[in-house]
Amino acid sequence: MIPGVTLELILYVTALGLVIIGLAGVVLSSHLFRMVLALVIAEAGANLMLVLSGYRWDAVAPILMQRAEQPAMVDPVPQAMVLTAIVIGVGIQALAVSILIRIRQRYGNLKRREVAEKMDAEIAASAGIRRDISQDAPLGERPLSPLPAHTAESRGGDA
Amino acid sequence: MNNLVLTIALPLLGAFLLPVVMRLSQALGLWLGPIILGYGCWLLGNLWFNDITLPLSIALGGFDAPYGINLYLDSLALLFAFAVQLLGLICWPYVLNQDTARRQALMLLLVAASTGLALSGDLFNLYVFYELAAVATFGLVVASTTSAAYAATFRYLILSGIGSVLTLLGIALIYSQTGTLNLAHLAQLAPELLHDRLGLTAYLLILIGIGVKAELFPVNAWVPEIYATASSRLSGFLAGLLSKLALLIILRLLVLIFDQPEAVQIILILGILGVISGEFAAWRAKDMRRMLGFSSIGQLGIIFIALSLPDERGLLALLALSLHHLVIKTGLFMLADGWGGSLERLTGAAKRSPVGAALFTLFALSLVGVPPLPGFWAKFTLITELAAQSEPLYLIGLLVFLLATVIETSYLFRIVAKLYSSAETTTEQPEYQHLPGLSLATASLFGITLLAATVLIAPIGDGLQAIAAEAKNAELYIQTVIPVTPGGQL
Repeated sequence: MIPGVTLELILYVTALGLVIIGLAGVVLSSHLFRMVLALVIAEAGANLMLVLSGYRWDAVAPILMQRAEQPAMVDPVPQAMVLTAIVIGVGIQALAVSILIRIRQRYGNLKRREVAEKMDAEIAASAGIRRDISQDAPLGERPLSPLPAHTAESRGGDA
Repeated sequence: MNNLVLTIALPLLGAFLLPVVMRLSQALGLWLGPIILGYGCWLLGNLWFNDITLPLSIALGGFDAPYGINLYLDSLALLFAFAVQLLGLICWPYVLNQDTARRQALMLLLVAASTGLALSGDLFNLYVFYELAAVATFGLVVASTTSAAYAATFRYLILSGIGSVLTLLGIALIYSQTGTLNLAHLAQLAPELLHDRLGLTAYLLILIGIGVKAELFPVNAWVPEIYATASSRLSGFLAGLLSKLALLIILRLLVLIFDQPEAVQIILILGILGVISGEFAAWRAKDMRRMLGFSSIGQLGIIFIALSLPDERGLLALLALSLHHLVIKTGLFMLADGWGGSLERLTGAAKRSPVGAALFTLFALSLVGVPPLPGFWAKFTLITELAAQSEPLYLIGLLVFLLATVIETSYLFRIVAKLYSSAETTTEQPEYQHLPGLSLATASLFGITLLAATVLIAPIGDGLQAIAAEAKNAELYIQTVIPVTPGGQL
């Protein structure tokens, strides 16, 4: 083993790495279900960090027993907290997946960009306003007005 | 005194009993929620007027702090807890449809969690209440069952999930450094253990995590869509109160634990960015609900600027702005119940609903800060306080704040002009301009509150000053929760 690298350090780096991988996944993925999975990874990292915050390598599980001498115990508070955090996380993930099922039923797919487009269109339609142009379209006016379709074809369709 | 716990426990119990009671007897079920909330109002109102010694700390389960979890009640917490119960009663989903039971149960859950946020004195407990409020919110937004509501809720859920991961990381860092999560105990240990780079990291993580609900600048992408798709009553509750409760947590952390100049500066910068982005987006918005959503981001930004002010008068400005925004924004969302669509549709609406138009004008005047309405007073406190600071960043804050007021005036009075315009719209059907009676009555209630506050501005100001002084006193908080015996060390 490399000197200076302890198991504890490896675990801390792992926890932080999981969180970073998860957050990057949420930001980068183009499919809504992958966003949920990425969130699960990030939560696992945070939970690992929470457990590590009270862990001792030379200690036993925090159960009080009739013993001659009490050995050192790990801190039970983070373990109780991480149980709570896991339960909350699972509940929210279940809710996320059930919402995804509804979105899939209504919009037909779960591609991030398409769902966002359809949501914007629906909000605009229910408010009765003309929608802004798509977020993918370039900003500003066209320098030249678009050519009519038949002239575009006669020029080989490169317009 | 222990019946204070009932203000959290009863709504929580009611939330889980309500679907069963509703099945047994519809009439009883419909009365259950309002009765619980009314009792909560009465209980907290009683505490307010009966002269008890505030602040006080209640140890739950008989374990004293810092080993057990405690509720901390000072005037600030009492004010917010009362506001939660009252606003829960006002924004209650009275309109009946097929899933009334579910919506009312979720609303009770939201009230219970919000009350917990106002009262709890333990960091992890705050996190749990925070998640509970989030889940209740998701359920209430999707109750409007439009496809856009599902998509908007999913976006909110993901953002809120990121927030909770960051908060958990922050909590883990704090715990590994100090070994406690009790706010008072943390406040004792903070000067030697948390005033370093690690503490600042933990603070930043929690700030961004909690900031999701407080509509803090980089994590507020959920705001316009949620307010555009949720019911107006829910939007009013979220924008008016839940954002302030998240702010209250940040305030407690700032006063008690992270009392460092860097921590304050981060808030100031994020607040300024929030004001700029929110107000410009509101100016561009073409429909009422999204305009209100963006404007709420801008207002929260201003409140964050007030939060970054170092002394007591800054806290006074923060309280005044928060309460003012609570009344105004909730009232405006009530009006958006009927006028939620495109702003073009509102042309000439004053003829059909003169009261609604008058209320909108009143709210707009106060939001901009025209004397003698309370908005003027709140904004004036902030301006004088910002101008008194010597640091250049505060002056930038002042400039941005004044610019924001100009933009606010522009977009709000554009609507007022439309309301009173004599040109008849011919293309739109008049039912778009119709305000439901219940919403109009609720909005009138907020209008009357505003006018009453105008008359009673002096006693309210004195009261807020006392509350601010008490909330700023970290020593008092520690003394109340952990009474020190001489020489005793925890």
